[in-house]
Amino acid sequence: MTERKRSVAIHVPVLTRVEGEGALDLRIDNGEIAELRLRIFEPPRFFEKFLEGRSYTEVPDMVARICGICPVAYQVTAAQALEKLFGVELDPWARDMRRVFYCGEWIQSHSLHIHLLAAPDFFGCSSAIELARIAPDEVRRGLRIQSLGNELMDLFGARSVHPVGIRVGGFHAAPELSRIAAIREKLRAALPEAEALIRWAAGIPVPQDDQDFVSVAVQHPRDYAIERGQIGASDGLRIEAEAFDAHFAEHHVAFSTALFSTYRQQPYLVGPLARLNLNYANLPERVQVLLAETGFALPSSNLFHSLVARALEILLALHEALRLLDTYRMPDSPFVPVTPRAGVATACTEAPRGLLWHRYEMDDSGCVVNARIVPPTSQNQGRIEEDLRLSLLNFGLDQPDDALRLHCEKVIRNYDPCISCATHFLNLNVERT
Amino acid sequence: MSRIRILGIGSPSGDDQAGWLVIDALSNSGLRTGGDLHFEKLDRPGASLIPLLVQADWVILIDAMASQPLPDTLGESRAQAGQIRHFDGQSWPDYRHGLSSHGLGVIESLSLARELGELPARMDVYGIEAEQVQAGCPAGETVQASAQRLAAHIAAELARSGVYASPG
Repeated sequence: MTERKRSVAIHVPVLTRVEGEGALDLRIDNGEIAELRLRIFEPPRFFEKFLEGRSYTEVPDMVARICGICPVAYQVTAAQALEKLFGVELDPWARDMRRVFYCGEWIQSHSLHIHLLAAPDFFGCSSAIELARIAPDEVRRGLRIQSLGNELMDLFGARSVHPVGIRVGGFHAAPELSRIAAIREKLRAALPEAEALIRWAAGIPVPQDDQDFVSVAVQHPRDYAIERGQIGASDGLRIEAEAFDAHFAEHHVAFSTALFSTYRQQPYLVGPLARLNLNYANLPERVQVLLAETGFALPSSNLFHSLVARALEILLALHEALRLLDTYRMPDSPFVPVTPRAGVATACTEAPRGLLWHRYEMDDSGCVVNARIVPPTSQNQGRIEEDLRLSLLNFGLDQPDDALRLHCEKVIRNYDPCISCATHFLNLNVERT
Repeated sequence: MSRIRILGIGSPSGDDQAGWLVIDALSNSGLRTGGDLHFEKLDRPGASLIPLLVQADWVILIDAMASQPLPDTLGESRAQAGQIRHFDGQSWPDYRHGLSSHGLGVIESLSLARELGELPARMDVYGIEAEQVQAGCPAGETVQASAQRLAAHIAAELARSGVYASPG
């Protein structure tokens, strides 16, 4: 007698608790995965095309509109690409405050993802509202931390959503000393909260699901890289942003409005766990202590450790913002003058969700001839599909449909995909025949 | 004196600007942010809405809505564009997932705030029925007129509260 293996088709038509719109199609034939597709169907947004013909002065504000969660990443990356091309040397004040501004974004984005998007999965809750019933203090703490990140963004960006603070050459304005003193007190008061968050996150049971993958992140000799550094990979690659195209390839697939990225013809990981895997030696001493306390070894090959990685990065961002604001002074000018020139500008930084790469071809009047933006989610799209395939095999394809669907969603949400940024995404469709 | 916050929520997509239009109409009527009165336009704020609720005693929130088909109409009849509905801090319309591409919509944020005990003492939620939400298009005339009518109603409510004189 032969055992009849199940054939299943699961379709998740709209993925919830992710930013943007996507779907998952899973077809299992005779107990084997026959088809697994992460479909990003949010319409293409053509931001690169909108930028053509626009002045360099407009670029930072336009790219900030790509994402309501990580606008600073887009602004900083664009500004730094153009500054490099124009030969602009930033005042040390502006360089430091760019990092502080970026720390605000990491704090709010990571806290949003941990508490409202990912954590409910690990407590058997369908939403943050359900999680708030069983862990109200933790959710309140998360919202306080998120709010502090927003305040930091508002301080330098004039508003936390689609901020407008950055200009090519520095910032439009410098915050007054009194506002810096007030935010320093709040950042200091948040340190024990962030430490408690790390301990809570590390105590959440997660599946043991080790996988082989290459981690890619910006690396810097001294800093835990955020806004500056070279592109590095766990196989030893170390390149400047200009060499991105020589090592990484983007390609279209019929079922997605986001491009798939590969490195050496293989998917790769960007984001908090990739950064922690590559850069943990550069964490500040106090964050190292908390990392050691959590007890997990780095580099980690378990993507479910991403939640703790985000919590650690919140503490890092708080320490970094405090370190740089402790010596805050009012600059003579918040920006330096800029003279545009023709050429090609490239830069990369670490958005909350991972490596963000920009390339602009500029004319001699400082207008964009063409632009290319490679966001983290499109780089992770291939890795998410690979992770789903491996993780489902580890989980067991004979599990009930609802359990399969939930597991898939958990895997996907763990990456904190920002589909709106990538669309250029989740409905699960499972078919078993 | 109580702290009053009026929040107009929207996006630059046709009738979804309804909340913004109400704030514009309040501003054009002479009402000014300052003291204990604060009003602002928000673009799909997600969970960032919650800290704004904590800081107030009375929140008036306006958003565009797309209601379910009316009961007992075999799914054929919907609310009419521009229709204004009012909800308090206890009962809100069901959230129909998929209208927002963001992880946390307004009703979810309000529900989370309620679960955490963070709702203000008085909460008024107004929904203006939307018809077309085409990106980059202005709101339809019906919704624009409803926004004006709702702004006048809110101004009168503020005056009735005895805190502010009715502008104009």
